[in-house]
Amino acid sequence: MSRHRVAALFRRVVQEIRRDRPSLGLLFIAPLVITGLLTFILREGQSPTIDAAIVNEAGQPGQVISGLLSSSLSSQGGSVVDVADEASARSGLRDGTISVAIIIPAGLGSGSAPTITVLTNGLDPSGEAGQLGSLQRALLSAASTIGAGHLPAIEHQTLYGTPSTDQVTNLAPALVGFFIYFFVYLLTGVSFLRERTGGTLERLMATPVARGEVVAGYTLGFGLFAMIQVALLMTWVLGSIQVPSIGPLPAFSIGLGVAVAGSPVVAFVVVLLLAIGAVSLGIFLSSIARTELQVIQFIPLVLVPQFLLSGVLFPLSSIPGLLQPIAPFLPLTHAVSALRLVFVAGAGFDAPDIQLDLLVLAGFAAFFATIAALSIRRDVV
Amino acid sequence: MSVATAAGAATAAPGPAIRAAGLAKTFGSIRAVDDISFELAPGRIYGLLGPNGSGKTTLIRLLLGLTKATSGRAEVLGVTMPSRSNLARIGYMTQADGVYPALTAGENVRFFAATYGVRDQAAARDALEVVELVDRGGSLTATLSGGQRRRLSLACAIVHRPPVLFLDEPTVGVDPLLRVAFWSYFRSLAQSGVTIVVSSHVMDEADRCDELLFVRAGKVIARGTGQEIRARAGTDELEQAFLKFSGDAEVRA
Repeated sequence: MSRHRVAALFRRVVQEIRRDRPSLGLLFIAPLVITGLLTFILREGQSPTIDAAIVNEAGQPGQVISGLLSSSLSSQGGSVVDVADEASARSGLRDGTISVAIIIPAGLGSGSAPTITVLTNGLDPSGEAGQLGSLQRALLSAASTIGAGHLPAIEHQTLYGTPSTDQVTNLAPALVGFFIYFFVYLLTGVSFLRERTGGTLERLMATPVARGEVVAGYTLGFGLFAMIQVALLMTWVLGSIQVPSIGPLPAFSIGLGVAVAGSPVVAFVVVLLLAIGAVSLGIFLSSIARTELQVIQFIPLVLVPQFLLSGVLFPLSSIPGLLQPIAPFLPLTHAVSALRLVFVAGAGFDAPDIQLDLLVLAGFAAFFATIAALSIRRDVV
Repeated sequence: MSVATAAGAATAAPGPAIRAAGLAKTFGSIRAVDDISFELAPGRIYGLLGPNGSGKTTLIRLLLGLTKATSGRAEVLGVTMPSRSNLARIGYMTQADGVYPALTAGENVRFFAATYGVRDQAAARDALEVVELVDRGGSLTATLSGGQRRRLSLACAIVHRPPVLFLDEPTVGVDPLLRVAFWSYFRSLAQSGVTIVVSSHVMDEADRCDELLFVRAGKVIARGTGQEIRARAGTDELEQAFLKFSGDAEVRA
């Protein structure tokens, strides 16, 4: 492998993409827009009316909160009732007369920071996530007026299933992985197909360039753009830059503000390995496709099943037993599992699960690179 | 087109520059190249003449090692093809332009120079000078005219000053003025020792070649200088000669 030839190929790929405005938009802007929309829908979309029951064990401070909450919820078409105890709140949840029960514990406002429990029935996680978002804000602003010095913690419990405070926290890492995989595949597939059909691959094969050098040059070139894409997307997903109000403009924040428990660096490495595999996958599939349309047609064939089976939307455990054995053979499965570990569980490079996923992803990348190199036959026609 | 910047001299090795021995290529039941054998001497211009689909491009691709021969052997400068390293001594101008539209003319030439292992920055400029594209060096290839892209394609094929040059229909879509310039440049290259194989289906270009090879249905049906071929066919028209040799080949078959 010649360093100079790989460098020349790398430079060429970068020059080509740099001038391809629509592709740059696809690569950099589209993931931001889609994750932004999804987050917006998941967090705010339903804007449901909340009918809450309050179990007040805290006396006077609890009354204050209850009153503030009542006015803020009823302004959105909801209602607040006071109930005697948790048991009656739970029965209200079960028969659907209320959607949320709030238990304000004794000791609130006494200097300590007790935990306010929010109960939902847990049958409609995404709907409840929407309710909880606005409820939490209302609760916190109400609690802050008590001036106890400590904001109470809010704990979410459900009658059924396990609660998730923010759906996006669970979904964001999987989406970051999927988008990188998707867009890097799409761009490499189309550019390499142009190389095959435009006669430049034939021309390139008449030079001393080796097939491995072509794959390496492409991987470096698209890898560079994938790196920028990952950095941009992660900043967007994790960031929450507060922009203060200027004149008549209200204050707002940039970024989705998804909490990440682990190090973004670990996530970055995971996604980069996934992207390198996607470059080779694009090169390989472009050898089967004859037109750019066919590269697109591989998406429902190759990418959508991966999307469904790798745990992006549905937990692996919920996939039918018949399909479960497929999951470990999909690169996306390992990327999603590693990214969730980083985002939700805060795992680092020292976690054995992360090490295994990284190893498997590197293996996939090497395997795809090999079949990609083999697919660049000198015998093209 | 400047003649001053001729490509480097061919290696002084004795023997033919290009050799085909029983070369054959079949695609399914079609014999694209059917048992072709010849030796081509260095420093001469050979014209591969024949109609579209007669197997000229496949023959060139076999000689370059771009496609695997069904049987037989191809040798360039004494090295059996395919040979990746030997490709550094061969130039190839494809029928399609084979240049990157999103790159500038200069970037294209520099890219191909790098793939041939040419590190000298002046080489790319020289190649652009030869085809008189220096002032368009910074223009995107997509914005060049058809003739300019042909010239760029030629610049990419000669940037490493190869002693052997394959030109697949180099003058298709090229205006008469540029065509004359192309041919005088090819002649200057041959004079400096470069072996050139030009394919064409335009018979009026034939007389600019030192020797002609008539290709029909994957076979070389006649070979010789323009004069020799005319004399043997008993006609002044090369088209008539081609038809006569085609008829003879059919009678033999």
